[in-house]
Amino acid sequence: MTRTFVCHAADVPANGMKQCETKGGLRLLVAHSGEQYYAYQAICPHQDVPLCEGLYDGSVLTCHQHLWQWDIKTGAALGLAEAPLEYFEVKLEDGAIYIVPPNALKMAELFAGINGQTLEGIIAIARREEYDEGTTLYRVGDPVEDLYVLESGRVNFVIGREDRTTPAGFMLRKGEVFGWAALLDNQPQRIAAATCLEKSSLLRVNGREVLKLLEADPASAFAVMRRLAALVTRYLAASGAK
Amino acid sequence: MKIQVNARNRAYSFDSGEKEQVLFAGLRSAVDLPYECSTGTCGTCKAKLIDGKIYDPWPEAPGRKYLKPEQGEFLMCQCVARTDITIELGNFVYGLDPGACLPRSSFGVIRRTRPLTHDVTFLEIEPDRPQEFDAGQFFAVGVPGIPGYRGYSMVNFERQAKRLEFVIKKKPGGGFSEWLFNSGIEGTAVNLVGPLGHATFYPNLGKNLLCIAGGSGIAGMMSILSRAVQERYFDQHRGYLFFGVRTMKDTFFLEELSSFRKAFPGSLDITIALSDEDVPADAAGRHPLLGFDRGFVHEVAARHMKGKYQNLRAYLAGPPPAVDGAIRMLIVEAKLTTDNIKYDKFS
Repeated sequence: MTRTFVCHAADVPANGMKQCETKGGLRLLVAHSGEQYYAYQAICPHQDVPLCEGLYDGSVLTCHQHLWQWDIKTGAALGLAEAPLEYFEVKLEDGAIYIVPPNALKMAELFAGINGQTLEGIIAIARREEYDEGTTLYRVGDPVEDLYVLESGRVNFVIGREDRTTPAGFMLRKGEVFGWAALLDNQPQRIAAATCLEKSSLLRVNGREVLKLLEADPASAFAVMRRLAALVTRYLAASGAK
Repeated sequence: MKIQVNARNRAYSFDSGEKEQVLFAGLRSAVDLPYECSTGTCGTCKAKLIDGKIYDPWPEAPGRKYLKPEQGEFLMCQCVARTDITIELGNFVYGLDPGACLPRSSFGVIRRTRPLTHDVTFLEIEPDRPQEFDAGQFFAVGVPGIPGYRGYSMVNFERQAKRLEFVIKKKPGGGFSEWLFNSGIEGTAVNLVGPLGHATFYPNLGKNLLCIAGGSGIAGMMSILSRAVQERYFDQHRGYLFFGVRTMKDTFFLEELSSFRKAFPGSLDITIALSDEDVPADAAGRHPLLGFDRGFVHEVAARHMKGKYQNLRAYLAGPPPAVDGAIRMLIVEAKLTTDNIKYDKFS
């Protein structure tokens, strides 16, 4: 992976933060905490608010607009926040801060907290594919094989067949996982259709292969299954509401 | 018109009236669309038009600065559907709680106005029928001849209210507040949408209350304290109110606040913060039940609240510097969790 220069470490205040822009025009929030530097998307994932205007106490970042909060060490959502921050791996060399974009699987909530080696195993079997706007990834009734992780773009879901369909939400953040029926034993067919609303880059991983890797690492498997159960419950709750 | 909302988690569809804003049509149908000010300022209700035609009756709304119009973005609190429309929201959207007071569009008549200070007035509106609302909520008010609505929090709290009481601060050059300062507006019909707002208080909260208000932001706090006093909430819990104004001549509601304190002298503390002058020597003598201190309201609150942040819910209202200062103080110094900080953004 190519690294990109962001700023000099001396420009970031101790236990403070600073908004930076790379040569390519990518805007980032660089934060210092203890001995480490962290780099995140510069704009709040909720609304178009620069995070550098928020509050930062050296460990928790708060957007001052609607009080979404994140753990500065991981970018994980805290409190009211509904989404994590997109993070970039930081390399510090000779007082200069560089970033490397992380693999989308490392940002996937579903795989957060699993053993690093197991995650590398999943990354190794993932295939990156690009799809044009309007591409149908799968239809209702298609056989379930892969689960998908969004790298960039936007994917729309529709439940139902022919003209009796209902929009069922969309994915737009890097690291969002869909098609997770591939991790369920008794779910041989897709229950929704997924279509790219814009040109999208996705990682595809075979569900059976993921389960095999997880079987060898029960602690990680338990973590993934807990998160999967939470995910399924969220969908049930959403479709049960008015 | 039929409105379909494609949210992040699912889709909703509901009907809107001919002149009804998309936001209000959704809320009326118990779809909890995102909003804060509901009056075209904060940008929270931004959505993207996918299909159909909309009409924007107030293209100068200040909240439009948050939009990318070339991508079809618009403010749901302003725009009205001209055809059936499909819109997209980047938010997760859920249904409103059963039992929530659903907002509706209605009319009211201005019944009484009364000056409170040289630039603050009291306004009483009679709604077209008795109105339910939660303590801390507001109505969007529209007056004849001026585009858009403005949000004003209710001062009173009662069931099936036959009067809605508001506090209006006169803003220089603000056509809206200047209109409300006119003499002889009693009897005028105004448009109302509400009740709105998320900074609500319910007595089952079970926590001590901290209210920090700057200027006319005291309105919603009066409603919260009214409800808390009516329900004898301060028999079990402590209450702290900080009311910030510039000088002693900018204060109002001191008699009403004194009567709240009188009911619960041991558990409710009320402090008036004066930012622009030292506390006059006779203030404590004239208002023996109230405390007075010099400083910005969030600074005064920080001084008085040290060590009292356990099991506490904070409500904030007022001009943006007061609210922002209070938020910073509560998060960075007091380490209050964000779900215990309630306010509605009007800017």
